[in-house]
Amino acid sequence: MIKILLNTVIRNLYKQKVYSIVNILGLATGVTCTLLILIWVNYELSFDTYHKDIERIYTVYENQKYADGDIFSVYSTPSPLAESLKEEYPEVEYASRLVSTWGQLVLSANGKTFVETGGKIVDPDFFKIFSIPVLYGDYISPLSNESTIVLSRRLSEKLFGDIDPIGLSIEINSNYQFIVGAVVENAPENSSIHYDFFLPFKFFKEYWEYDLSDWEANSFHLFVKLKDGANSEYLAENIRHHVRQRIPYSNVELDLQAFEKYHLYSISKNKSGPIWYVQVFLLVAVLILLIACFNYMNLATARSERRAREVAIRKVVGAQRRGLVGLFLTESIVFTTIALGLGIVFVELLLPVFSDLTNRTLTLNPGNLKFLIAVVLIVLSTGVLSGSYPALFLSSFLPIQVIRGVFRQDSAMLRKVLVIIQFTMSIALFICTCVIYKQLNFLKDSDVGYNKDNIVYVEMLDDFYEEYSELKGELLKIPGVHWVTAANQMPVNFLNSTWDVNWPNKSVDSEDVLFQLSFVDFDFIETFEMDVIQGRGFSNQFGEDTLKFIINESAAEKMGMVYTIGEKISLWNYTGEVIGIVKDFNFNSLQVGVDPLIMMRKPSSFKYIGIRVGEDKDPIINKIRKVWNRKFSHIPFNYRLLEEDFNYFYQAESRMGKLFASFTAIAFIISCLGLFGLVSFITENKAREVALRKVFGANVDNVFQLLFKEILKWIVLSIAIAWIISFFAMEWWLNGFAYRIEMGIGIFIMAAVLSLLVACLTIYRQIARLVTIAPAHVLKYE
Amino acid sequence: MIKTKNLIKIFRTDEVETTALNNVNLEINEGEFVAIMGPSGCGKSTLLNIIGLLDNPSEGEMHFNGYQVENYTERQRTNLRKENIGFVFQSFNLIDELTVFENVELPLLYMKVSGSERKRRVNEALERMNIAHRAKHFPQQLSGGQQQRVAIARAVISNPKLILADEPTGNLDSANGEEVMNLLTQLNEEGTTIIMVTHSPSDADRSHRIIQLFDGHVVTENMRQKL
Ligand SMILES: Nc1ncnc2c1ncn2[C@@H]1O[C@H](COP(=O)(O)OP(=O)(O)OP(=O)(O)O)[C@@H](O)[C@H]1O
Ligand SMILES: [Mg+2]
Repeated sequence: MIKILLNTVIRNLYKQKVYSIVNILGLATGVTCTLLILIWVNYELSFDTYHKDIERIYTVYENQKYADGDIFSVYSTPSPLAESLKEEYPEVEYASRLVSTWGQLVLSANGKTFVETGGKIVDPDFFKIFSIPVLYGDYISPLSNESTIVLSRRLSEKLFGDIDPIGLSIEINSNYQFIVGAVVENAPENSSIHYDFFLPFKFFKEYWEYDLSDWEANSFHLFVKLKDGANSEYLAENIRHHVRQRIPYSNVELDLQAFEKYHLYSISKNKSGPIWYVQVFLLVAVLILLIACFNYMNLATARSERRAREVAIRKVVGAQRRGLVGLFLTESIVFTTIALGLGIVFVELLLPVFSDLTNRTLTLNPGNLKFLIAVVLIVLSTGVLSGSYPALFLSSFLPIQVIRGVFRQDSAMLRKVLVIIQFTMSIALFICTCVIYKQLNFLKDSDVGYNKDNIVYVEMLDDFYEEYSELKGELLKIPGVHWVTAANQMPVNFLNSTWDVNWPNKSVDSEDVLFQLSFVDFDFIETFEMDVIQGRGFSNQFGEDTLKFIINESAAEKMGMVYTIGEKISLWNYTGEVIGIVKDFNFNSLQVGVDPLIMMRKPSSFKYIGIRVGEDKDPIINKIRKVWNRKFSHIPFNYRLLEEDFNYFYQAESRMGKLFASFTAIAFIISCLGLFGLVSFITENKAREVALRKVFGANVDNVFQLLFKEILKWIVLSIAIAWIISFFAMEWWLNGFAYRIEMGIGIFIMAAVLSLLVACLTIYRQIARLVTIAPAHVLKYE
Repeated sequence: MIKTKNLIKIFRTDEVETTALNNVNLEINEGEFVAIMGPSGCGKSTLLNIIGLLDNPSEGEMHFNGYQVENYTERQRTNLRKENIGFVFQSFNLIDELTVFENVELPLLYMKVSGSERKRRVNEALERMNIAHRAKHFPQQLSGGQQQRVAIARAVISNPKLILADEPTGNLDSANGEEVMNLLTQLNEEGTTIIMVTHSPSDADRSHRIIQLFDGHVVTENMRQKL
């Protein structure tokens, strides 16, 4: 019996090749996309979950509150906080500060020397909070000895090869000696914290001369692990004013973030963090699966209606309803199973490409099993649903009704609705993609307030300033090098800030205005081609120019001295005159606005050399390298390009944009498959009517218009709905940006034209064929 | 009016090749009433479709009203057809989605006749076919005889010179069949050329001439003496 059944199914599949393929491929594509997205989502959700007791791990962060109502949330906390929390609150079992080494360090051991940037300074508790397997050395408490260094497996192998290096010594920057105390496993890829080696705080204090008892300097991430059963909300409430209790004028309130949320959630109240992408892509996954399932149902039911006559005849000759139900259900389940199988094969084939796109190593592993099962269940129910429709609905009709064709109307309506939903979703996705692209491009290309192109910069070792003037002189001799300057940071990402700034008539509400702070050398303004509104930049024509300040427009406004220079202001205990006001420029990602900024010339803080070169960068950089290596061979010439850093800001966004675009394209293709299949059934159902109209004089054009108009009506309706949905969704999204585009009508019109065009192309051939076929061939079968 | 020369029609499907018509030579004049008879599958419908410009022959010549049409495109055939030919089928072939009125109106729509004129002519035709009271009904709500009268109304609405009828009484009982035959005879008397396929000798008796087909060949042509 089963064999006969399967035979029938396979014969039907073969007989209606095109429809079968369209039907199965559509569903398989949908399954593929949905699974790929879910695997990625699962990966993002898996971040850091390998830590034991992760629900007890928290990050302590600061909400800095300003008079104008702004809250600035940062992970940076003062150094003494860790010890202090641990002492005062019994809930806190372990606490560890974490800070990345400030810049690169030179590690020598075993006769080899490497410049390393992946160092972390942590407290011994760090290894109690996080589950980091120790491979060699001190299992109980790595780093508890202040003269030890902890290496990752990667760095240990790089330095010492495949041996146990415990007890061997490593020299850092030529004058600090460490003994290897432990080797730990590398951080897995889905870890928020990455490291190559760990150093104790003693080194940090000595090397960077940092006052670790200072409550007013914020430089450290702080992780805590609570005791089993401790109430984190209660603790968060209690520690809120912890800093203010020590520094009365501080604007800092502390809060806790569960470490589970560290990767995906932002601590800023008005930003959502990468979870936004996860949610959007989940939505896309659901939409695509829905589109694919609707598509399948549409085609499957249409296909079975085409067989209404077959059903009727089977019943006339005595088929039982039960047998018919079995036939259709078997058929549907065979179809969906093939689609599922294909989908999973596609996923396996596409995973490497998809991993590249997402910059993650994705695999179809047991962790994804729940998604796999969910998708399989959804698809199978789609199959059963679309299989039972003809099985129950069609076979419940009396044969005579089916033969006379009375049944068609009801389900045709349902199908139209399904197609309209499919297209609405695809068009809305398309519009959203365009808007997202436009916004991201806008952010990337918009005027940052200075010229970020053709800037080469080099991170220097400490105390380079003595050699700097000589270096600058040599560099400026190279043709193509226009300006050379130095600073403590490049304008892509300013990190220092202070509220300790005073000016004449400073009011009480200005007490807590946060100023960004930058130490820059002569020619900084000129090198970056910033606009000076008033006064001048630092220049050696005016002597040392220390104890002078340059501020930006926002700062000038805060100080109430719009566009006047010459005022005396003070920063910390330095007092001096404002010699220049520059136009606001962006020194952070454009997602946030511009803060007040103060610049001062303080050579001992300089860390970077910035060089403005001509358009044709590469040969100039080569010349710089030659000069550099000849004269300053002890300083590595590891240059970077500012524009690349800048692009890096938007890399995640643009990657997501690309992915989103690909999935939109796929959703569109599935919808078109749906339309294609549907139109073939419509044309088939209409074949008789069209033939008769032609017998009685309708010409090709009349009939063509008639069919086209009807189908285009649905598309137009879809466009209208999609416009409304995407407009509101994108307004909401754009409002999350400090700098945003207006969507403009162009994108909407483009989406409409494109979808009409695609729809026309999809249906044109079929309608054309229907219309030009000789009526005799159609009426023959009546 | 119609002349065919060595008309051949071959149907090719995947495996088999059927010669439905083989060297058919015919001449039919204006005003004639011709019956085509023959066993099932001998090619009657195929011939009627070619004469009615619903299909092209595979080979041979086909003249219609002085035009040589065998190589016409679908578009050209449509133009010729809508002015000149009306069709009546055994299975009525009304459009289910349209009312009786709209079905009959259909040919006029494609002839660009004004709305009021269409209304007048459709009502006139329906009255003549004794079916006017059913104008707003859909085909499925009518009996077979009624449906066929609607089909005839549709066939004559454009005042064609030629009416082609493929077994017009095939699905009807004798009373309804009789009525349809009376209508056709009357139309012929008013000057319309009629070509009819039939299995019924009594229906064939109404015609002037019977063409006998066998296996795609014309075997006899009987001129009949009208009463
Ligand atoms: N579209 C087609 N494809 C293949 N063969 C066809 C096609 N149309 C007709 N034939 C074949 O051509 C032959 C003639 O068919 P036709 O319909 O003209 O017969 P008929 O004389 O009208 O028969 P009936 O009296 O049963 O209606 C038949 O053998 C038929 O199988
Ligand atoms: Mg026939």
